Amino acid sequence: MEAVRIRLENISKKFIHRLKGEVSAVDQVSLHVQPGEFLTLLGPSGCGKTTTLRMVAGFERPDRGRIYIGEEDVTDLMVNRRNIGFVFQNYALFPHLSVFENVAYGLRVKGMFKAEIEKSVGEVLTLVGLKGYERQFPHQLSGGEQQRVALARAVVIQPRVLLFDEPLSNLDAKLRVYMRSEIRRLQKALSITAVYVTHDQEEAMAISDHIAVMNEGKIIQIGTAEELYLCPESPFVAQFIGKINLLPAEVKEITEEKVMLRIFKQNYRVSKGPHHFERGERVNVFVRPETIELVKAVDEDSLKASVMERSFLGEKVDYLLELDGHTIYATSYDPLRHGTFSLHQEVGVRFNPDAITILKEVEK
Amino acid sequence: MSAPTVELNPSNRLRNLLRDPLLLVSLIILWSLLILFILLPLIRLFIRTFEEGGHFTLSNILAILGDPNQRQALWNSLLLGCLVGLCGTALGFLFAFTAVRTNLSKAWTFFLDVSIILPLISPPFTTAIAMIFSFGPRGLITYDLLGIKNFTAYGLHSTLFSETITYFPIAYLTLKAIIAGIDPNIEDMAFSLGSSRWRVFRTVTLPLTVPGLANSILLLFAASLADFATPLILAGNSFPVLPTQAYLQITGLFDIKGGAVLSFILLVPAFLVFFLQRFWVSRKYYVTISGKVGAKTQVKSVPSWTKYFLLGLCLFISAFILYFYVLLFYASIVQAFGANFQLTWKHYRVVFTEGLKAIRDTLIIAGAGMPLGGIYSVILGYLVCKKVFFSRQAMEIVSMINYALPGTIVGIAYLLFFNEPPILLTGTAIIIIACYVFRYGPTGIRTTVAILQQIDPSIEEASFSLGAGSATTFSRITLPLILPAFFAGLGVVFIRSMTAISATIFLISINWTLITVRILEKMTELELGVAAAFSILVVFIVFIVITAISLFLRLFRQPGAPEMASILGG
Repeated sequence: MEAVRIRLENISKKFIHRLKGEVSAVDQVSLHVQPGEFLTLLGPSGCGKTTTLRMVAGFERPDRGRIYIGEEDVTDLMVNRRNIGFVFQNYALFPHLSVFENVAYGLRVKGMFKAEIEKSVGEVLTLVGLKGYERQFPHQLSGGEQQRVALARAVVIQPRVLLFDEPLSNLDAKLRVYMRSEIRRLQKALSITAVYVTHDQEEAMAISDHIAVMNEGKIIQIGTAEELYLCPESPFVAQFIGKINLLPAEVKEITEEKVMLRIFKQNYRVSKGPHHFERGERVNVFVRPETIELVKAVDEDSLKASVMERSFLGEKVDYLLELDGHTIYATSYDPLRHGTFSLHQEVGVRFNPDAITILKEVEK
Repeated sequence: MSAPTVELNPSNRLRNLLRDPLLLVSLIILWSLLILFILLPLIRLFIRTFEEGGHFTLSNILAILGDPNQRQALWNSLLLGCLVGLCGTALGFLFAFTAVRTNLSKAWTFFLDVSIILPLISPPFTTAIAMIFSFGPRGLITYDLLGIKNFTAYGLHSTLFSETITYFPIAYLTLKAIIAGIDPNIEDMAFSLGSSRWRVFRTVTLPLTVPGLANSILLLFAASLADFATPLILAGNSFPVLPTQAYLQITGLFDIKGGAVLSFILLVPAFLVFFLQRFWVSRKYYVTISGKVGAKTQVKSVPSWTKYFLLGLCLFISAFILYFYVLLFYASIVQAFGANFQLTWKHYRVVFTEGLKAIRDTLIIAGAGMPLGGIYSVILGYLVCKKVFFSRQAMEIVSMINYALPGTIVGIAYLLFFNEPPILLTGTAIIIIACYVFRYGPTGIRTTVAILQQIDPSIEEASFSLGAGSATTFSRITLPLILPAFFAGLGVVFIRSMTAISATIFLISINWTLITVRILEKMTELELGVAAAFSILVVFIVFIVITAISLFLRLFRQPGAPEMASILGG
């Protein structure tokens, strides 16, 4: 089957919350997912990502806006007529049916012949690595196995789109990493358009073609993992994707492509990006912890700081530093090579000018 | 992330209804039934009470309240209800605490359970009969054992005692679930903070049980208020209560109107209890289940001497209950209990000759009511729990009315409404079956709702997402999962059809009669042996059917389906 596009046009949804009254869960969201693309909705709890996904599935109906799967307007179509595959956070396996019957359920609903059903179920169970588990019941399976049954059950009906609602959040850390590459592999192999919901930025970055970052019912920014990490358009995205240090800076000089910023007591020549500046203007910049270089001896290129906390994590050491009354996160990789610093030790902090990003509203 | 469930947009609600014709049809049918068998009879009772010659009047009510005898009956009913509520709850708490918190071995728990189940599956006046055999004029204990010649077995004390024994199992079941739900880790926490056992009980265990205690007192108050068989036999002339007064007014004086007004007065405290329970107590429950299961821990809230003291107390009461049933059986196989102890089968001969029609009628009615009640309660429970539609809450409340009201009221309301056109049902089996289905179906509805609330909504959504419609999802996914509730509904309707009397005594006819009514007749004709034999028969049949249902359920229980706590719960 050919992959289809998904289009959300200005969809909004309100709910009545028991305490807060009327709440806008999703607010005028528009989104285009290309055929065969893997798109992730990423955001903190309550940002509207699950509600958006559930509207695509048809579990909720938007108050406003239209939803298209392929060229078809499915806004008023019941879930069971949309031909989607949905994977739930808690798997939602039918507890009274065996693995085989769970996977066969959608095919039986379609009224397929017995032989066809057996063939399809067999194939898809092989695909997810659960051949031989046909007669087991859900409560006899581990979390990861249940997850794979849920996956098999969703793909066996050859859905037009695959929808995932935080499918890995109930698994332990190692299995989560393994299963996400399994999901990606399966989606590629079947070339089905997929929408995936998670609050875990690392998972989102690992699995997606594109990520839509959501907050308070709105999409804040859409892009690839790299784009979001390197060029966040708002402090929210910068803070949500990876860790940052948000620092105050003052514009000292402006040239063609660069701008001279004073951060603490040092000057840095930083790329201007799409922004306009005025001399003396105060702006915010952010610096990722891993781009900060720590040196033993404080010299004129570095700023004096002292170590407040340190966490040795094996491949890296996380530091919390105090610099001129500010708290700075710094990460030092490969501690054997670079050496480590002890608590309360004085260190020199060097910012890499190429890794300083200016946060400023883009003027249009 | 939890998905909000309240649909804000009213046009979406209407759209859902129109897109789901099956839901629409079910709603129309259910509402028609609820109106016909619950609301209209009550409205008829209401009109009969407040109407005189086409005008609204309070004179009927005032006439009753002005009569010192009837005022006394009202007061007696309330007093008896309060006392039974308190005593029964105390007894129920004793049993529940002992069963849950003293690490009893399986055998002891089983013994306690059996003695508690017996009163639940017996006709309501079984203990009353045994009371007469024990404490009556020629009673085994008072006359033969203690030699007391002029002990009176009639009045408040014996009615209270008998009703407490009959109804405390309800308190036991309510409280057992609540005490079992208190995570022992919470008690451990209190111990770790330096509390003594008595302090833990006083400051942690007991306060957490308070909503359950309140609920149990209300339940028992309602049960006592509704009970008319026990006072009819034991209260005597000196202690009239409202349900018996209403009954005597109708059957003795053929004054239907007077009976209706009397039962209407009973309605006030009954409704009060219903709403207290529903809107106050039910919100007071503490949630001590915290999602994650804590480490398993040995319950250590009771020292061993207390354990044996509590167990001893429970065993004494259990033994007393068992003694009642042995006595009942013994009375059914001797010539004349108290006078002639020669063994005989003659009482059973009466049961199976002239009593055969009552047995057959009862079994037909119970057999027909059972599946109807099961289907009714599962469908209604499913709709009010899982579907969003206009009038949902109203439907839930209306469906509970006949369950909450004393049987006397329901019986008289049916008598008034179905005795005349347009719907003439008096003298048919339908009126009795309908009475049972709508009066005892709510137990099944509650079980259905309880089970459905444990089933994650995403399981049904998964079915929809795989292309199934409502009908397929219900029959293939939901129904198998709520099968235990269906059987609980069946069981309760059957048991009550075999044992209830307060409502249906007004509905029997020459064509259709019931075993329980025959027992009452035999009691009044002083053929106590036959009454005992009938009672034993009922207990026997109910016991067989319950065992069969439990076995069936165990055999066909789907793997992973929620466990059914107790077929008699609630």
